[in-house]
Amino acid sequence: MDKKLYRWAITLAVLFVLLLCVVVVATAVGPANISIDKVAMIIISDTVSKIPYLSDHMHITKTWTDGEAGIIMLVRLPRVILGLLVGATLSVAGVAAQATFKNPMADPYILGVSSGAAFGAAVVIDFGLSAVSVAIPMLVITLNFGALQLGAFIGGLAAAFLVLNIGRTGDKFPIETLLLAGIAISAFFSAMTSFLMYIGGHTLSQVVYWVMGALWNSSWNDIWLMLPMALIGSIIIFAFSRDLNTLLLGDEAASHLGTNVHLLKAGMMALMSLITAAAVSVSGIIGFVGLVTPHIMRLIVGPDHRILIPSSVLAGAMFLTLADTFSRIIIQPTEVPVGIITALIGAPFFIYLLSRKKKSVA
Amino acid sequence: MLDITSLSFNYGTVKVLDDITFSADKGECIGIIGPNGSGKSTLLKTLSKILKPTSGRVVICGKELERYTPKELARHMAVVPQDTNMDFDFTCLEVVLMGRNPHMGRFELEGRKDMDIALESMMLTNTWHLRERPFSELSGGERQRVIIARALAQEPSILFLDEPVSHLDINHQIEILDLVKRLKDERGLVVIVILHDLNLAARYCDRLILLSENRILATGSPEDVLIQENIRRAFGANVMVKKHPVTGYLYVTLLDVPGAAGPSNGRTVHLVCGAGTGTQLMYLLRSHGYNVTTGALNVLDSDYDTALQLGIPAVSEAPFSPITPEAYAQVVGLMKKADVIVISDVPFGWGNLKNLEAALASGRPVIMVEKNDINDFTNGSATAMVQKIRDNGGLTVKNGEELIENLEKKLLC
Repeated sequence: MDKKLYRWAITLAVLFVLLLCVVVVATAVGPANISIDKVAMIIISDTVSKIPYLSDHMHITKTWTDGEAGIIMLVRLPRVILGLLVGATLSVAGVAAQATFKNPMADPYILGVSSGAAFGAAVVIDFGLSAVSVAIPMLVITLNFGALQLGAFIGGLAAAFLVLNIGRTGDKFPIETLLLAGIAISAFFSAMTSFLMYIGGHTLSQVVYWVMGALWNSSWNDIWLMLPMALIGSIIIFAFSRDLNTLLLGDEAASHLGTNVHLLKAGMMALMSLITAAAVSVSGIIGFVGLVTPHIMRLIVGPDHRILIPSSVLAGAMFLTLADTFSRIIIQPTEVPVGIITALIGAPFFIYLLSRKKKSVA
Repeated sequence: MLDITSLSFNYGTVKVLDDITFSADKGECIGIIGPNGSGKSTLLKTLSKILKPTSGRVVICGKELERYTPKELARHMAVVPQDTNMDFDFTCLEVVLMGRNPHMGRFELEGRKDMDIALESMMLTNTWHLRERPFSELSGGERQRVIIARALAQEPSILFLDEPVSHLDINHQIEILDLVKRLKDERGLVVIVILHDLNLAARYCDRLILLSENRILATGSPEDVLIQENIRRAFGANVMVKKHPVTGYLYVTLLDVPGAAGPSNGRTVHLVCGAGTGTQLMYLLRSHGYNVTTGALNVLDSDYDTALQLGIPAVSEAPFSPITPEAYAQVVGLMKKADVIVISDVPFGWGNLKNLEAALASGRPVIMVEKNDINDFTNGSATAMVQKIRDNGGLTVKNGEELIENLEKKLLC
């Protein structure tokens, strides 16, 4: 057991160091050439200035311009952090989906969250509500609930809610009916979104951009919006790691091992829809992160959720941040929506997995 | 340990279990048998709290079933299903350690004690060498042993097995059930096992519960439950139940005679046999629609058992005794009523020589089935009599098929 813990700790440490490297590189890369050491100093001094005691006793000599500080603190850093958060969240949701559905091909959007969110976003964009936003002062920060985010969040949750209710029989959630309900609801919302895009005319491109998934409008506000939901949801999912392990043996076997299967599955699907909707509402629909990351990590650390979830968090964060960095530099000076990049990397990998599975079946 | 009182379960309005009552004690192995759809699996599911009974009471270790949380129940009861498939690559040790789940807190990691218990369980089931192998790569028998190890790691007092060997080869069937029996004896477990195979049920269970049409048709020792009549009522099948001559266990053989006696063609054959030479002939004649009578046979003769099982009238004689005049008279009586007398290649001694005499005396046509030369232990008396029968027009055939052909020629044309 100690050996296992040791191995887990090493894995997480390695992933964490890799993630730090990715973060530094991602923050330093961009059209404005700012050296890595400057980036580090800007971030450190900004952090220090926000901590009451330290700001009075520590003085860092300023070697950068306010413009450079602005680029790092208001543009690049929030984007990188949001990328980390969204990537991590989608990966956790993907792990939960694959365990709940006992199917390694399941992903966070299996319950229709993405199509519902797209519909919500399209409604907001089409009816010109994008400019509307509600500001709610929290303890230290003021949260701006943009109509777009809110619309996407509500749309995503609504779709999942519908799927869960259609697919449910009594207090049970049979996989097959859930999958079919997911397909039906997704088709319905996609049709509605297409309809809105069709009649929307000039707003079409906006909806299309949103659907492709991008992180370019990231702000600290987005981070504060999704962080609490993503964090709490992920922690609860992680707390049920061992129950998720038993679920992989089958529903009945799991309940024979003392797992409350119906409650667990219902809870997992609710939580995974919640955190997915939270991620989607600030980033649009970014595909394949939630599907591929758990897979890669399962190959490396094995299927035990107690290590699979934390390592998928780190790997998912890394994957999306790398993909986003790539999307920023691939066709300068414009950007490619990151959803395209993740799909371009993810789809071939998915095909590779499929062919491996085919071989193992044959 | 386990007390079940008038347990019923309905799927909607359909009764699936009706008034099931039984109890089980430490160190007891109870087999649940019955045809498909008789409610065996539903019974197991209600007992393991997957289905909620419509009415009735289940008490496990002194506490009512509905008052158990899933986790608590898993500390008292483990279930081994028919087969376990998994798309994910857990190692066998990881699978066995999952059996410790009900004993662990939410954020607890497996400790020394859990590892020791897993090790012990895997040693007992002879799976420790598989510990690092992915569970999904194992063979059926290995997988079932690992699952039993997992069940043991739960440290249960009740072990349920739902057709644990239906997917396995016979050598693995025996291996798994031997293991279960050993565990039952060594650990004082209550074992409840659903079995398809009546012979395995007879061999491994202390008590059997025969379910039919959702209720208990019979319960008791294998000898009491596995009788022809019960099996006909439960399965609608004709069987023969005997004690196996080698193992001493009961064994059940399916007979494909339609109905109890089959549609009769109105012809009667009297069979002279013994020492097992007549068993196949009786079955063959019966399934071709002949009424069969036989005798005289000694009570311990295996042919006598067969005659009883098939409901064939037989003149009997005390074990190892020569045929008495009374029995002789009865035999002649039966022979006179028969259309044909068939003589199997039974060895003849002084004891059963009277049967040949009776065949001659009755004057009925005779067919002799002779695979080999006659086994004569009478210094020629039997041979002489057989020769006399031949002289009187008795036919000799080589085997059962020829017998049936000749019978048809003689009787039906």
